Amino acid sequence: MLAPIWSQHHFLNKKMFFYILRRIPQTVLVIFGVTLVTFIALQIGGDPTYLFVSERASPEEIEETRKMLGFDKPLHIQYLIYLSNLVQLDFGDSLYYRQPALTVILETLPATIELTIFSMLIAIFGSIPFGILAAIYRGKWIDGSLMAIAMLGQSIPSFWLGIMCILYISLNVSWLPISGHVPFLMLIFQGEFIQAFKNLPTTITYLILPSFAVAFYSVSRNARLIRSSMLEVLSQDYVRTARSKGLSEYIVIMKHAMRNAWLPVVTIIGLEFGFVISGVVVVEVIFAWPGLGRTVFDAISNRDIPLVQAAVVVISLFVIVINLITDLVYAKLDPRIKL
Amino acid sequence: MKKLITGVAVVFGLIFPSTFTIAAPPDDTFVVGLPTDTIGLEPAQISSRHTANIMKHIFGQLYSVSETGSIDPNLAESYKISDDGKEYTFTLKEGLTCHDGEALTAEDAAYSFNRVADEDLAFTGNSAGFVYKSIDFKEARADSEREVTIVLGGPNHIALGLIAEVYVHCKDSYEKMSKDEAASNPIGSGPYEFVKWDKGSQIVLKKAANPPIPTNFENVIWRVIPEASTRTAELIAGNVDMITNASPDQVEAIDASSTAKVAKVQGTRRMYVGFHQGPEFAVTPGGAAIQKPEVRRALQYAVNVPAICENLLNAPCTRMTGIVNPNNAHPNLEPYPYDPEIAEYLLDQAGYPRDANGVRFEITLQAGEGRYLNDKNVVLAICQYLDDVGVKTNCEILDWSAVYIPLIKEKKAGPMYFIGSGGATWSPLYDMADLSAPDSGPNYTKWMNEEWFKGWKVINNTNDEYIIRREIDRMLEVFYNEGPWLHLYFQPDFYGVSNRVNWNPRRDEKVDLFNATLK
Amino acid sequence: MNSKKTNNQNIKDFLFALIKNKWALTSIIWLFIIIAIAIFASQLAPFDPNKNNIMERVAPPLTLDKQGNMKYLIGSDALGRDSFSRLIFGAQVSLIVGFSAVLVGGILGTALGVYAGYYGKWIDDIIMRLADIQLAFPFILLAILFLVVLGEGLINLIIVLGIGQWVTYARIARAQTISQKEKEYVEAAKALGVNNFSIMFGSILPNIFAPLIVIASFNVASVILAEAALSFLGLGVPPQIPTWGAMLAESRDHIFAKRWWMPFFPGMAILLTVLAFNIVGDWLRDYLDPRLKEVE
Repeated sequence: MLAPIWSQHHFLNKKMFFYILRRIPQTVLVIFGVTLVTFIALQIGGDPTYLFVSERASPEEIEETRKMLGFDKPLHIQYLIYLSNLVQLDFGDSLYYRQPALTVILETLPATIELTIFSMLIAIFGSIPFGILAAIYRGKWIDGSLMAIAMLGQSIPSFWLGIMCILYISLNVSWLPISGHVPFLMLIFQGEFIQAFKNLPTTITYLILPSFAVAFYSVSRNARLIRSSMLEVLSQDYVRTARSKGLSEYIVIMKHAMRNAWLPVVTIIGLEFGFVISGVVVVEVIFAWPGLGRTVFDAISNRDIPLVQAAVVVISLFVIVINLITDLVYAKLDPRIKL
Repeated sequence: MKKLITGVAVVFGLIFPSTFTIAAPPDDTFVVGLPTDTIGLEPAQISSRHTANIMKHIFGQLYSVSETGSIDPNLAESYKISDDGKEYTFTLKEGLTCHDGEALTAEDAAYSFNRVADEDLAFTGNSAGFVYKSIDFKEARADSEREVTIVLGGPNHIALGLIAEVYVHCKDSYEKMSKDEAASNPIGSGPYEFVKWDKGSQIVLKKAANPPIPTNFENVIWRVIPEASTRTAELIAGNVDMITNASPDQVEAIDASSTAKVAKVQGTRRMYVGFHQGPEFAVTPGGAAIQKPEVRRALQYAVNVPAICENLLNAPCTRMTGIVNPNNAHPNLEPYPYDPEIAEYLLDQAGYPRDANGVRFEITLQAGEGRYLNDKNVVLAICQYLDDVGVKTNCEILDWSAVYIPLIKEKKAGPMYFIGSGGATWSPLYDMADLSAPDSGPNYTKWMNEEWFKGWKVINNTNDEYIIRREIDRMLEVFYNEGPWLHLYFQPDFYGVSNRVNWNPRRDEKVDLFNATLK
Repeated sequence: MNSKKTNNQNIKDFLFALIKNKWALTSIIWLFIIIAIAIFASQLAPFDPNKNNIMERVAPPLTLDKQGNMKYLIGSDALGRDSFSRLIFGAQVSLIVGFSAVLVGGILGTALGVYAGYYGKWIDDIIMRLADIQLAFPFILLAILFLVVLGEGLINLIIVLGIGQWVTYARIARAQTISQKEKEYVEAAKALGVNNFSIMFGSILPNIFAPLIVIASFNVASVILAEAALSFLGLGVPPQIPTWGAMLAESRDHIFAKRWWMPFFPGMAILLTVLAFNIVGDWLRDYLDPRLKEVE
């Protein structure tokens, strides 16, 4: 007897399954829109032929190069060719690396995933203790100073924070490495688990500063958010009831308040991801982090159209999937939400 | 919660003791910090200086140009030129191998040259685009086990130096690979063997089993560090041995550190402001003004080039006297001095007095950003100098690759534009070849001066060194008096070098690590 | 609700609440000072912010000229331009960029959001799919893409930063409009034959304005930070136009040489102004959202 797929997972109920199904055509539409926007934007200012000729190129060399790169065809034809290839999951070759664009993306993706996940962990878990402490000691000096730091954290440009970290934490006292990357996820994908876990401690030391620079803004914002939602929850009737029952403050906070204070945090995780990705570009440049953010920044500067397209599609898919997961988790946490 | 905190503490406890000190590279390894990654690793497809620098460690050339400008044996030990000057026959050294162990013969060398020209493979860039077109490459053939002949369309005085820019590889190994595979798996013939390329991060090389020329370090790592401050920090911390493109404003800080010094060289790249002579700009008042040689000459006096070098490039310089690098330049020409009064006088004389607002004429100066040493600030300073003599200059600083390069290559930048053109010390003709014909690729000014261009006929029809030199000097005088360039400087290059190593930079932006040693 | 008396009462309440909160008050005062500096930049700046003199570059603060008069109050930059004048004009540019981008994003987003919420159905669908596309496209990528392609410039920067913001406004405006649409006053207006445009922007919009203003306040802050990030990447406005972000980004060349004043002044300007917008945003939210006030 064939059981429906959702019955095997207690997380995924029937409603959710159909919700995911409903989202698929939307996703296709979004991907199509994103590629169209990118394509038009990259084509507005002319083609990238000039970046692939020698310093002293002659007009014939330029014309020949244009033909070889395929930019001599009309624009709509180029886009149709691109789309028909995309349907077959062929993103074309990167003009710059002369390799399939998807290969280049997949090679740089793991480093960015490491950075993103670590940053999001810091952004989420780093902010919780601060938010709760501030809420518990509302109006006291702890609250004041934590919130002051949080306020400052939302006002410093991340590139500056990164450079200051390099200068004072890495160079002056050499607590952490200055820049660079030691692969972990890449090795996992390649199946070299032993080497990967040997690398892990070093990988993390290289991750700390960049993820801190990415996440500091978010930590600050989330801490403030958690504080206010905690405050709200603490004033609710059921918390008052719990207190009046004589439960210890610790249990009241951990059991009752925390669970409900989480909700607004979960909603912003989806948005957080888009935000972290944005922060990642700048930070990858500063910390020489070989990730997708820098690759796509360079690719845009070099007009490497296939590479930009592939990167944008992959990143958009990520954002969409993370948002979907967020919606599902939210629905799970708060049964009042209907999908 | 408690468990979590304990867990985190344990993890940190494990990590920190092991990595508290971040180690300098091992004694047998040389680490270079580069601002950008390589553009692929295909020996037949090179369009960036950094890529060429990495490739010349992996691949041998028949001959190579040394830092002093001499052209020295590399894979080949000798060469001879046929009487008509069209055939260059090289004799390879004995016992050469490629890194996969295959013997490297004349057949392989001929294959390397012919592969670049293979239309199916559609290569562009330096070899296929510039070198082959300049020497009018016809074919390469293997005459015997160790003799390879390169056939040109006609005699060429700089062919040997240009042939030195083509990288040699083995036929069997490259025929086995698809174009995609070849782009990231170089199988070399040079002193270093390719180990791995982590995109955006590093390129790792190790010493080849059978290096064709001697070299010291066992391993070479090229690390990509885009941000200049980070490169400087890594150098000072001792994690890299050499960085290219050090920022001029960080020179003092590096010199003041106990771990590294800055090596400055005057490069061969000729930085200039072009005066576009084409009819498309002649319709604008500024474009019309700079069509007059007197105006161009006047503007030479308006810009304080030594001050720009001293203050913005942090390297004293002598202003250029023209298109050719100093060692080959006209011996009797003096650089234009900075004298705004002469400039103003000449502009008055040329028929451009200041109007009521103190403006003689308006003109646009275009430049790209981020390619040359402190380019943005140099251009802003030049605009100020021109403003000061009454030429109201509209400074347009554009994105380098997306906007400026297309303008330049289509010869639409102007009426004034700022750019640098790579030069060489080994021949004045190489430098002058920018203007080898009115329609030559790098003649972005569309300059048509007959007195200049007729010189090429004289040079190409003789082998007499004296006549060639005399003609060169005559042309350089024309260029000095009426040329389409506002003379600036030869770009200085800054390399940060760790005190751990001995390494000397070259003038021509090429980096080789063969002679580097540990202190 | 619309009578004059209650309006006055509202303003009084507002000012009273503001004076009670010393941080919000300080922030508002600081913002007014910055706005005044921006408006009177050409009167206040001692020098032309673009006049360079490479002989007097990277002068330290309080540098005097030969006659002993103040020349560079807070030093000169890498081209010998007066940093104080550039800081003053930078206020102008930062605020123009901040406010204009928020206006562009706010107007666009609010209009689309109100339309989507009011009409629903396929209009809502199209607008919300556009929002999805926008959200799937991380802001910085869009900004880099368009600035590289369209070229640097104040207008381009404002458009790009504005477009990056519209979804937030659209979502809030849509949600609010949906909840307002069923209210009596809308039904009444419809019955009276008022046209849809007037209902949307004459009746509904004033009632949903409060949360949008709060968002706008935070957004000005994030736009100023985004401008700084783009300046670091070498995008943004042409180098002649002084912005705080570009001044801070350029100063990083000098931190190794310990020229602390070069990052300090533009850095503080950004920090304090962004801080002020955030504090004001916080306070406005608390003021306009009575739920939280009870808690406090």
